[in-house]
Amino acid sequence: MNAYFFFLLFLTPVALLQAQHGSIAGTPFSSPEDVKAGAQSFRSQCAACHGLDASGGSNGPSLTTGTFKHGDSDEALFRTITKGVPGTPMVAFPLDGREVWQLIAFLRSVNIGKSAERAAGDPVKGSQIFANSGCLRCHTVGGAGGFAGPDLSEIGSRRSLEQLRSSVLDPDAEVSPDYWSLRARTRSGQTVAGRRMNEDMDSFQILEASGRLRSLMKSELASYEIVRTSPMPSFRGKLQPSEVEDLIAYLASLRAQNANAEEPVK
Amino acid sequence: MKPLQMIVIFAALFFGSLNAQVSFERLQRALREPQNWLTYNGNLSSTHYSGLDQIKPANAAGLDLKWVWQAQSLEKFEATPLVVDGVMYVTEPPNTVAAIDARTGRPYWMYQHPMPETTYVCCGNVNRGLAILDNTLFLGTLDAYLVALDASTGRKKWQTKVEEYTHGYAVTVAPLVVKDKVVVGPAGGERGISGFLAAYDARTGKQVWRFNTIPHPGEPGNETWPGDSWKTGGGSVWVTGSYDPELNLIYWGIGNPGPDWNPAVRAGANLYADCVVAIDADTGKLRWYYQFTPNDEWDFDSVQVPVLADLTWKGKPRKVMLWGNRNGFFYVLDRTNGEFLLAKAFVKQTWAAGIDENGKPIKASGKSPSVGGTDVWPGVQGGTNWYAPSFSPRTRLFYLTAWEDYHTAYFTWDQSYEPGKSFTGGTARSPIPSIRREPFIKWGPEWGYGVVRALNPLTGEKVWEYKMRDVSDAGILTTASDLLFSGNREGYFFCLDARTGKELWKRYLGSQVAASPITYLVDGKQYVTIAAGHSLFTFGLPAGRAGAEAKR
Repeated sequence: MNAYFFFLLFLTPVALLQAQHGSIAGTPFSSPEDVKAGAQSFRSQCAACHGLDASGGSNGPSLTTGTFKHGDSDEALFRTITKGVPGTPMVAFPLDGREVWQLIAFLRSVNIGKSAERAAGDPVKGSQIFANSGCLRCHTVGGAGGFAGPDLSEIGSRRSLEQLRSSVLDPDAEVSPDYWSLRARTRSGQTVAGRRMNEDMDSFQILEASGRLRSLMKSELASYEIVRTSPMPSFRGKLQPSEVEDLIAYLASLRAQNANAEEPVK
Repeated sequence: MKPLQMIVIFAALFFGSLNAQVSFERLQRALREPQNWLTYNGNLSSTHYSGLDQIKPANAAGLDLKWVWQAQSLEKFEATPLVVDGVMYVTEPPNTVAAIDARTGRPYWMYQHPMPETTYVCCGNVNRGLAILDNTLFLGTLDAYLVALDASTGRKKWQTKVEEYTHGYAVTVAPLVVKDKVVVGPAGGERGISGFLAAYDARTGKQVWRFNTIPHPGEPGNETWPGDSWKTGGGSVWVTGSYDPELNLIYWGIGNPGPDWNPAVRAGANLYADCVVAIDADTGKLRWYYQFTPNDEWDFDSVQVPVLADLTWKGKPRKVMLWGNRNGFFYVLDRTNGEFLLAKAFVKQTWAAGIDENGKPIKASGKSPSVGGTDVWPGVQGGTNWYAPSFSPRTRLFYLTAWEDYHTAYFTWDQSYEPGKSFTGGTARSPIPSIRREPFIKWGPEWGYGVVRALNPLTGEKVWEYKMRDVSDAGILTTASDLLFSGNREGYFFCLDARTGKELWKRYLGSQVAASPITYLVDGKQYVTIAAGHSLFTFGLPAGRAGAEAKR
């Protein structure tokens, strides 16, 4: 059956259920079997770009945050899948309507943003631990803080509870290449270091500790090294296990906001 | 155990972004650091002039491509970049910001503003650029937000909703920083908006003042709008204004009244549409205004860049404002009080029989939009438009890109307003497309053509001109070596002798230039950058020669 015809068929019920978009119940194929079938389709159709667990890959963003760049509603997801997004690597997928709805059901099931609801700790206590443990020296939340480490403003939408726990207790376990750093010595003997923003065959672009952006030609360097470990200390043994859970609950509560919710000041 | 060195490095990061501290002092004195391009128009007087002189008439013929930055989007690239101490900041459509090494074109970071599924802009998902203060960049968005970004990392510091984008409001203008405030306003003159200029606290994003470019009931000027017509009166803001620190006045050009081509439903002068307004920078209060086209019938937005110059006018030094208007006239105003000093047509125009001694246009008869269409010169894109003109304090000439002998048939009809939808009350048709649609030029030159013109600002007389085959949407840069850079819709980027208009150098870039050039210096070498098609091109002198020349 033509996917577009299927889309029209379900347009009305989708519109009625718009208020509860985001819930699996909003789609016509949303049983546990459908989620399973959706997972199967995801692996064969989507994983090459979006990653096996939908957490993002080399050619496509994470689909686990609960917010989608080209529309969050079921209708918008249906359109994105069936029509693609011109000007991006996201092509149109000629799937039938049932397959598309099952894919959407699967995507709703992998929404990491919901994991805060399962966190065992107390996010209010966690926010105090966060404030008192020096985290803002290197991390930003809501526009305030340092820039040596990742911006945590929406970390709860991007990382599962398990991933957050691993980052707090064992920071070196997984360091994003975004936070690898360059340590180099120039031919004139100057030591240079900073976060590696870009590297190509001839040059590095780095962010120095002062906040200065600096570009270096490799031909100007006598030696260099890419440091892949995290400068963050482990909090294992420094926080009580219950405090770790509180901290994780707080981090999980830092979620992507709906940017369009505020009112203008007249 | 972590290497001690790393801990030291990252502990230092705690002290935050100490780089690129662009104080307002620096913005005010931008001409004293010509190695940088610190504001949309290069300096707060908006002369689009640079003190650099390494590239000069004697060596311009050797200009060479240094690097190309390709935008991720295929939409119109109208941005003018900033350059701060070797780092270039540029906006790409729709609302992406890139920090680039100005010497090599390699990227440091990119910021992508999350876009809604639908935007409501009239004329493409454009953005014209950024402002910077201290270590913060300011970006206006198509969903009508003002966003503050950390210049070191591209991380968002705050965002403020300017207006409701689903009602046709969008911010395409590059913001203007004045003291501790950031000033923007909304585009949407074809969407029935009611415009304003608004200033926001640069640190917090809180609104400090708002000046309604279409006065609300109870505000002076509302009487120039019958009934509720002010509510959809347009008065958009989409090109960056200027600032005079001595007078503490912000000058800004205001867009067309709405609906564009049905003036009957808004009988009256329609203030402050098609005006330049002078606003107290601290309070947002109107100090004076001058209206170029009262009760505009042809979409003659007065959004052009207000160029501030100090001239000897009839034997006396005078603080003036130079303005090549979309309506085809060149104007000189006294910027202390708005006094009208001069108006002279710089292209063929038929809508006005003249401008009277008070600066009021005498409308020619039979030129109103009609049901069957009325031919009027200049056409709907104007004698000039949003792209930057330039004033050189060396040649004392005003330079602008103009559309000569260009006309449009203007049509009118009744139309009711619906939020977010086109609200123009008519249409305009011309054999020359309003925007470049394809890489071919097939119409005859009798439909109009582009020129770069040098005007004597004391008389409005033409000193020289550089003629093109097609029209141009490119701004102008002049330098202390008396060079002039511009481009055109044909895809050329060129360098002229600013004294004579003689062509010194030209390159075909493969797609239209719809932006204004800038120049800067890194590691002792001067560069010139222009956006064309979907890419940003940077030119400089061949390696080896530039350094030697600079030392002479």
